[in-house]
This record gives sequence, C-alpha cells and structure tokens, in this order.
Amino acid sequence: MANAEQTEAEFGAAAASSVSGAERQRIVHTPGDGHMWVMVLGDLIIFGAYFVIFMVYRAMNPQEFLTSQEHLNINIGVLNTLALLASSWFVARSVQAARAGDHARALRLTYLGGLCGVVFILIKAYEWSTKIAAGYTISSNEFFMFYYMLTGVHLFHVSLGLLILGITVRELRNPRRRRMFMVEAGATYWHMVDLLWIVIFALLYVMR
Amino acid sequence: MSSTISARSSSSADVADAGSARRAGKRDVWLVFWIVPAFYTAFGVIFFALARVMPPPRPDVTTDQMVHFFHAHTLTIKIGFGVLVLIVGGAGIANGIVAYHMKRMTVGSVMAYGYLGAMSVGALPGCLLVAFCFLTAVYRPDRDPHLLALLYDLGLLSYVGSLGCFSTAYFAFAVAILYDKNEIFPKWLAYVSIWQIVTEIMAMPVFISKAGPFAWNGSIAFWLGVVVFGFWLSCVIVFLMKATERQPIDEPPLD
Amino acid sequence: MQILAEAEDLPKTANIKTQLISLWTAPAFGIVLMIAFLAFPGFFPPMSPDMTADQVAKFYSDHTALIRFSMITFNLCGIMLLPFFMVIVVQMKRMATQSHIFAYSYLTAAVSGATLFALADIFYLVAAFRPDRSPELVMLLNDMAWMIFIAPVGAFVAMNLLLGAAIYFDDGPTPVFPRWVGHYAIMTALAMAPAAAAAVFTTGPLAWNGAVSFWLRNGAFALFVVVMFFVLRNVLHRQAVDEGVAT
Repeated sequence: MANAEQTEAEFGAAAASSVSGAERQRIVHTPGDGHMWVMVLGDLIIFGAYFVIFMVYRAMNPQEFLTSQEHLNINIGVLNTLALLASSWFVARSVQAARAGDHARALRLTYLGGLCGVVFILIKAYEWSTKIAAGYTISSNEFFMFYYMLTGVHLFHVSLGLLILGITVRELRNPRRRRMFMVEAGATYWHMVDLLWIVIFALLYVMR
Repeated sequence: MSSTISARSSSSADVADAGSARRAGKRDVWLVFWIVPAFYTAFGVIFFALARVMPPPRPDVTTDQMVHFFHAHTLTIKIGFGVLVLIVGGAGIANGIVAYHMKRMTVGSVMAYGYLGAMSVGALPGCLLVAFCFLTAVYRPDRDPHLLALLYDLGLLSYVGSLGCFSTAYFAFAVAILYDKNEIFPKWLAYVSIWQIVTEIMAMPVFISKAGPFAWNGSIAFWLGVVVFGFWLSCVIVFLMKATERQPIDEPPLD
Repeated sequence: MQILAEAEDLPKTANIKTQLISLWTAPAFGIVLMIAFLAFPGFFPPMSPDMTADQVAKFYSDHTALIRFSMITFNLCGIMLLPFFMVIVVQMKRMATQSHIFAYSYLTAAVSGATLFALADIFYLVAAFRPDRSPELVMLLNDMAWMIFIAPVGAFVAMNLLLGAAIYFDDGPTPVFPRWVGHYAIMTALAMAPAAAAAVFTTGPLAWNGAVSFWLRNGAFALFVVVMFFVLRNVLHRQAVDEGVAT
C-alpha cells in the first residue's frame, strides 16, 4: 500500500511539472455551468421544433398567414426587440463588470437588464390587449393561435429569466459568494431568451 | 467486543469493495425501484398498443366516426384499460420512490410532499378518467352515439388536458433539485422538468382547437409533449437507479 | 427575514427557503386564480340549477371564450396552491408533543380535495368544447361541473379539523401555531361543511348558487388562504430564528 501511495505522488508531481506556467494561464473555461447549457440547448431544440412546425403550417396556408400577419403591429414588435436587445447588452456588460471585480457596477447593470425585461412584458401585455380588443383572439385562426402560444410561452421564459436575474442580483450582493459561474449562467439563460424572441419576431412579424 | 467491531467493519469494507462490481444501496429500495421501469413499460404497451390513446384518435371527426372508433377497438380497450386498472398502483409506487429520494436531499420535505401530492392528484383526471370513460363507452355495444361522443371528448380532453397537477409536481421537483447539496439528482434534470412545464403550457389550446398542431392529437400539444415526457421519464428512471445505488447501505431511516 | 451568513449553506436553511417558496406560491397564483374566478361569466351571479338545458347550452355558446380562458387558467394554476398546504404539513410535523399522525392525514386529505378541484374545471371545458352538442348533454356536463366544484368539502373539512386538533394537542412550552389558529380552522371547516348539500338541493341557499354553498364556502376558503399566509409567514420566521438560521 505504501508503494502505491508513493507511485501516485510521483505521478502527480510529474504531471504538475509538465503543465508549464504559460499553459496554466490559458486554461479555457466554458462560461456558466454545464447544467445551464443543457437547459439552453434543449430549450433551443424544443423551440426549434415549434418554429419548424410553424413554417410547415404556414406553407400549407400561405394566404391566411400573410393576411393575418398584416394585423400585427410591426412597430410594437420592433420596440419589443429593442427592449430585449438592450437588456441583453446590459446583462453582457454586467458579466464583464463582474469578471473585472466591479460588483457594484455589475449589480446596477443587472438591474437595468431586468428593467428592460419588465418593459418587454408591459409592451407585450399592451399589444395583446389591443389585439384582443380588435377581435383577434387565440381562436381566430391558426396564425393567431401560433402568435399567442409562441409569444405566450416566450413570456413564460422572460418571467423565468427575471427570476433568474433576481438570483444573479442575490449572488452579486453577497460578498461571500459572487461566483462567476452563477452570474454567467444567468446571463446565458437571458441571452437565450433574447435569441428566441428574435426568431419569433422574424417568423411572426417580418417574414413575408 | 473490539474484535467483533473490527470484524464487522472489515466485512463491510469487503462489501464496499465488492460494491464496485455489485451495487450498493438498500434492498427494499431496490425492490421498489425495479417496479418503476416495469410499470412504465406496461403503461407504454397499454397506452400505445392497446388502449389506442397514444396517439389519441382525432377530435375533428363526426359522431359516427367516434362510434366506429369504439366498436373497432372494443377488445383492446377492454384488455388494455382493464389491466391498467389493476396495475395503476405502480404509478403511486413510482411517485413514492421519487418522493423518498427527494426526502434524502438537503432541502427538507416540503417539496417532496408537493411532488407526491401533485402527482397523486394527476392520477385521476390525467390517467384514470380516460380509462373509465373508454371502458364505459365499450361496455354496452348499443349505447346512444351522442353519449359515446361525450365519453370520447371527456376522456381525451382530461387525458391530454390535465395540465396543472403535473406542472406543480415538476415545479416542486425542479426547485428541490436546484437547492439540493446532496446531488441526489443532477441539476440539469431540474431544467428538463422546466421543459415539461413548457409542454404543459403548450397543451392549453387542446380545449379550443379541433385540428392542427394545438389539437389534442397535434404535433405541438401532444407529440412534442410525449417526446419531452419520454426523455424526462427515462432520465428520472436512470437517476433513481443511481440514487438507489449510491445510497449507503447503513443510512438511517428517514423521518 | 435576514438569513445569517454562517447559516447560508446549511440544510436547515434550505428547509426554510423551500418552505418560503411554497408559501409564496399562494399569493402569486392566488392572484391569478382570483382573476380567473372574476372572469368566469357564470359566477356573477352564479348559474342557477333551475336553468333549462337550452339556457345552459346558450350560456356555453354565448360565452365560450371567457369560459375557456377562466377554466384553462384554473386547470393550469389551481394545483399550485398545493405546496402552500404542504407547508402546513411540515409545520404540523414540528409539533413536539404529538406523533405525526395528524400531519400525514392532513397530507392525504389535501391531495383528495385537490383532486376533486382538478376534476371540476375539466367538466366546464368539455361542456364548452362542442357548441353543437345536444343541450341535454351540455346540461349534464354542467351539472357535474358545478357539483364537483362546490359540493366536495369533505377533504377540506377534515383538513381543518385535523389542523385544529393538532394545534389543541400542541400544548407544550413552544407551540408552533398560536392557539386562535386552531379555533379559526375549526370555524372555517364549519363554514364550508354545509356546501356538501349542493349535491342534493336545487334551490335555496344550499344549492350550488346559494349564499351558503357558493359565497360562504368560497369566501371562507379564500379568507383561510389569506389568513394562513400571514400566520405561516410568522411561523416560518420563528422557526428560522429558533434554528439559528435568521435574525
């Protein structure tokens, strides 16, 4: 047993010395944590399936989809997109600030990102209410069912994202934590939410 | 006395060494574990092959077509759902072992009770109601077609459309996993449970739509839900096995 | 509640945190459920058992959209109140001077009550699913919906009697709940119990649209959730302080 320990120690020392100082500087790390990447990639696959199915139904009924699409207000869609893009920008900069150790700034930027997320939700609520008031409800036709379900489940993701940003805020405010992987994981999720919206915007509002 | 203790500890060391070749864990938990994949296999055979609810028959059919469906599948519905009624205790057992391992987490018991409770709620509207609606429908061959149509709708809407009970269970499961420091289940399984909630949300329109991707047989409301559920269930079974394996054989009973 | 630095990563802290999450699902989803309740066109005033089949069918075809919105919301969000009641189970298990029998009986009663609630909204939704269904069948579904929504009070009556008993038995030096909660729970049980008669009566205050079976029953339940939210918040705070988790 003593021999085995000795061999192990020798092996460890040999391995350590083989990693040069420069290599140790450049240790690559995947931002965030692996679990969040499972979430993001899986969510993208699931949404990808929804988008493909949308395209299939659109191809089966191009005229109905085109005329229904005209009832969507593209300006509101653009406002929504800008709100989320701004929020992603704030969140990305907050990750940079956290990496640099400036936690107060990272905190402020996270709040700003979350604020933009709230603005997104308010705009969406306004848009839905105008559509419903104008008579375009979920049961109007296939296009509008897709519209409400896609934007609705996306809204669920935004709400979840606000919860996650709240956890990031908790993390940043606690001097005993401030773990980078937590901040990065939160940002990863938020960027996914933004990415999903851009595709939804393109499919529902823009694509002719 | 010291010699007895050392003898016992050396024999348990032997067991631990052998455990790398043979599984550890408690034998009563293992017994319960193996019931889970056995039950869900039977469940799959029943729901896919026999009872004809996976995939479900279409909502956009006439009353006559609904009657025809029941007449054409009377035998397999009786066999399938008849057996289900006998073995459905397996669902309770599956919920029980998940709740058991959840109680081994470092998060207290409230989420385990939430999971247990919510899944138990789901057993009636989400599983057994369709069984009894269909069994009733095929019980008398000459029932009025409009009554058969009602049983058809009631069974299938409750089966595909029971959303909140399972969402609550997935929520409790996800929260517990994310807070747990014992790593009974991997963190990413919490996120898979969130996907399950997403599929429940996407099934909301089944009460509205009669055809298309959001009907109770639709590609989004039904099929994608089945795929994600199949993945979730497989992961849960695998990690139940690992959790059972890794449980120390001398862990004291839970409170 | 200010979680102490030393206690942050302890299991007992996670126990408090998960209970807090379960507690707060009650107001979060309670508001959603209240909106759904207000949106349902058949609650103000509650539909009468005297309506003819044709009137019931007309109700479902006139108000399909709102019926669906309200009942789908109940379907998706109703069981989210269950974790709240599971906090009560956990707290009952903390009572020092008794076995856990009341807690486990409370748990199973809560599950059976929630099951009936989960079932009720399905019947409303099936009634609204095909507008061309025979009015007699729509009325059958509507009858079952209302009866299953209003009449099953047994589970909740049992839960409150169990909670009351547990509190009365918790007579050691450090009771978990203040004693008045026991009285309040029993009173709620008594207020809701008569609604069982909605399964039998077709007119009067005990029918499913009556003052006792509809308004008193639902009002008492809603009030119970609100009151117990604040009670449990205090109880959790005291648990956290007692266990050295928070100040």
